[in-house]
Amino acid sequence: MNAPHSLLVLAIGNPDRGDDAAAWEVATTLDGLLPESTALLRSSGDFLSMLDQWQQFDAMICIDAAAPQGNPGKISRFDIAAGPLPTSLDALSSHAFGLGQSIALAKRLGFAPARIVVYAIEGENFAVGEPLSQGVAAAVMPASKAILSEAKRLSEGKLDA
Amino acid sequence: MTTRTIKVDYLARVEGEGALDLHIENGEVTAANLRIFEPPRFFEAFLRGRSYTELPDIVARICGICPIAYQLGAIQAVEDAFEVTVDPQVSALRRLIYCGEWIQSHALHVVMLHAPDFLGYPDAIQMAEQHREAVRRGLALKQAGNALMCLLGGREIHPVSLRAGGFHRVPTKRELEVLCDEMKQARDLAKELVIWVSSFPFPAFERDYEFVALRHDQDYPITAGRIVSSEGIDIAIGDYEHEFEERQVPHSTALQSSVKRRGAYLVGPMARYAINHDRLPQSVQELADSAGIGPICRNPFQSIVIRALEILHACDEAVRLIAAYEEPSRPFAPVEPRAAVGFGCTEAPRGICWHRYEFAEDGTIRNARIVPPTSQNQSSVEADLKAVAALLVDKADNAIRTRCEMTIRNYDPCISCAAHFLKLTVHRP
Repeated sequence: MNAPHSLLVLAIGNPDRGDDAAAWEVATTLDGLLPESTALLRSSGDFLSMLDQWQQFDAMICIDAAAPQGNPGKISRFDIAAGPLPTSLDALSSHAFGLGQSIALAKRLGFAPARIVVYAIEGENFAVGEPLSQGVAAAVMPASKAILSEAKRLSEGKLDA
Repeated sequence: MTTRTIKVDYLARVEGEGALDLHIENGEVTAANLRIFEPPRFFEAFLRGRSYTELPDIVARICGICPIAYQLGAIQAVEDAFEVTVDPQVSALRRLIYCGEWIQSHALHVVMLHAPDFLGYPDAIQMAEQHREAVRRGLALKQAGNALMCLLGGREIHPVSLRAGGFHRVPTKRELEVLCDEMKQARDLAKELVIWVSSFPFPAFERDYEFVALRHDQDYPITAGRIVSSEGIDIAIGDYEHEFEERQVPHSTALQSSVKRRGAYLVGPMARYAINHDRLPQSVQELADSAGIGPICRNPFQSIVIRALEILHACDEAVRLIAAYEEPSRPFAPVEPRAAVGFGCTEAPRGICWHRYEFAEDGTIRNARIVPPTSQNQSSVEADLKAVAALLVDKADNAIRTRCEMTIRNYDPCISCAAHFLKLTVHRP
């Protein structure tokens, strides 16, 4: 493990755009609770400016909002070891490089942590200036608990957990 | 009668969502329609009734790629309307943060979005297999631009430091000097980038554009200048509406701009370069020459080289501006609202971004009009597409589609939200 920070928890979103703030809300809940060897960062989604920072970590947990598919607040977990992210997770990106593509590029360049797990919270409303929708707001606490458990497992080196 | 309709429902590797419909009848291209959505139209309505103090933060959210273009154009219009004079060092800081925007925006497009076209890859991820160092160089350049924006703007996306009259907070000399080494390294990377992209195989294609760009008394234009065209237009930014007009077309929610009585025109790197080649330092002119780009370039596929040259110039400027910086006596000049109209225009990475605002006595916005570069270029993109496709009518649909997509990416269009798959529908009688 790379001390002092072996795990990166990356909250991706935009606090000004409704449910796109979901991951940042989760980060606020997690602040101060994560294992000692964990770095917590908030990102606006411009992954290309931070890819080379990812190589400092052995593992990374990303939290992002997912495009609406009829189940607002649904929490999905993706282990990159099992396969690439579904492209629907890139649909919210205001840049030409979404999370899935950025992870693929990081792997190609040798910047990717050995373990990457992505938590996606399905959104409903991404309008400018709107608050979290009801379903997404209700998902913040369960998502935070799941990510906290995941962070503890990864920090303890239980990579297959 | 032979009719072919080639549709591209989603354009890949552009900033946002776009689509293309191409119609070919009896071997002739009869229509090339680029369908796009432009967020600024919504923001103009949203701005009415808001205070001038809120303007920079609202317009920054129009675009995550070029927020400074929107913020600074709006701020200039406020200062124009309320007759505010800013400190020269504040003007220098504005040019510096804009250099950051140029560097990060151009680096993203040149390396990650456009270069794969010339090297035969579907995307930068595949390209990185054989061109790892080139991709790493692109990321390092983008990061250098982001570092400038982050320091001066408070954060990378939607900067928060800019305001009418100046900045909420200006950096100390020491804070800026920390970036000097990074900018010098970026300058070296940019030279390598120019050499790399100039070696690409460019399709033989030229068009006779009317170039439109800002022109400044001394500088290669970024934050200020008169609006000048290669066909003789030379006006103050407040006279834009005398020479240019917008119209609605059925296939796009974006208004299309044209020169009155003439038609399509081109803004962006090729236009800036053609009109301001003599404003570039000798070293950049010489590198352009050795890269096979003369004082005027009319091949849109070579715009990638000009973008790389502009990255180099922006790095040069950043080093110069940091060295010359002296902290101003106050971060912003006082602003007293009044009933007035104000104009702003800067050179966004993709071309001139023009603003007009009408303010009430208390500084409330009564009317707003923003003309972004992508809508100004839309007619020109479509003319390019027609000309490019005309040379390929005997080719298979896939070959036409690929070259047309590449043609659109020459413009680095900034649209609304990303999409990453293509669906092609061909109708044959």
